[in-house]
Amino acid sequence: MKPEEAARLLHAYVDRELDAAKSLELEAQLAADPALRERFERLRDLSAGIREKADYHAAPSSLAERLSAASIAPRRAPRWILPVAAAALVASLAAGIVLVRPGDEEALLREMVASHVRSTLGNRLIDVASSDQHTVKPWLSARLPFSPPVADFSQEGFELAGARLDYVGGHPVAVLVYKRRQHLIDAFIWPGSGPRDSAYSRDGFNVERSSAEGMRICLVSDLNRNELSDLARLLTARR
Amino acid sequence: MTDRRRFEQQVLPHIDAAFNLARWLTRNDHDAEDVVQDAMLRAYRHFEGLRGEARPWLLAIVRNACFSWMQRNRPAELATGPDAEAAEAATAPADGPEALLARELDRRMLNEAIAALPFREVLILRELEDLSYREIARIANVPIGTVMSRLARARRLLAESVRVIAVASRLQTEK
Repeated sequence: MKPEEAARLLHAYVDRELDAAKSLELEAQLAADPALRERFERLRDLSAGIREKADYHAAPSSLAERLSAASIAPRRAPRWILPVAAAALVASLAAGIVLVRPGDEEALLREMVASHVRSTLGNRLIDVASSDQHTVKPWLSARLPFSPPVADFSQEGFELAGARLDYVGGHPVAVLVYKRRQHLIDAFIWPGSGPRDSAYSRDGFNVERSSAEGMRICLVSDLNRNELSDLARLLTARR
Repeated sequence: MTDRRRFEQQVLPHIDAAFNLARWLTRNDHDAEDVVQDAMLRAYRHFEGLRGEARPWLLAIVRNACFSWMQRNRPAELATGPDAEAAEAATAPADGPEALLARELDRRMLNEAIAALPFREVLILRELEDLSYREIARIANVPIGTVMSRLARARRLLAESVRVIAVASRLQTEK
């Protein structure tokens, strides 16, 4: 590989867009050429610096509310009717999804506990390891048909450790992984709503169910129920 | 499932990505809200045309909405016609250090430097939305090679302004 080509491919390498053969070739070059190595490191730091420090402008909640499907409806309605229609729509959506049979819900909870146990036994706990919500959120959004809420609660004692993807109850879900002392907490998140806050535990694991803003959030952990509820409150309150 | 409900499930959840892109392109909360609202209406109207992933599809609509909004309201800022493309081509792709210090840099200064970049959209889509070159190419409606050269250029310019800012602030503290 010529030096010009190596320099040109550095960006693609940092962006993980290089195929395996070219990556190997470039890595050999990086090992042999300290100046190139330095450029690579600077480029990588720049990219990491942007991801860490550039503002991610989340949409103001007022905008999201205005844009709920009710207000996108083609027919014109008086202004006052929109919030009412939106509320009715949300209610009917919720009702549609709440109608799951109890057996389904039980199976779902078992699946989530099993996923949590499997992930803590094996090494596949985290697909993307980062405490930075601006790294985790786009990573998840890029791989799921929805965009889950992601937040770090280190200040409240729940440190975001990363996230993984999983498949539960017949749909892909986001799993945020939090740490509290030596405990790991999995937060399963997917679009929908469901029964909430009924205590459930199985094989020494507690499950805390809640939903907010059209997302179901189920926490699974060996952490005690009180502290698990604290995290559930944080997750549902921030949206 | 009705279209409206599918829209609410597939497209509306990406409103943060839509707003983030619009906010970076217009550099202003209020304008970004207008643009996103407009883009969402367009997206709803063309929802049947959605094939594949909703997020890049929506971002392409947001980007177009941004540019038509800028054309109407701030045409002077859109002086990125042939001149900018020529400048892009003229800049040697390989040379110039991509430095530096971004990690030590003050958050506010880094954000100001990004906001001033031409082609900041590729940087935002790559670094903040983690989209692939192919997806960015589709959103910006340019070939992948152009995405790569714009990204390289945006990073080089950013590194330069970061370095200038760092030197300036060092001089400031030495005084």
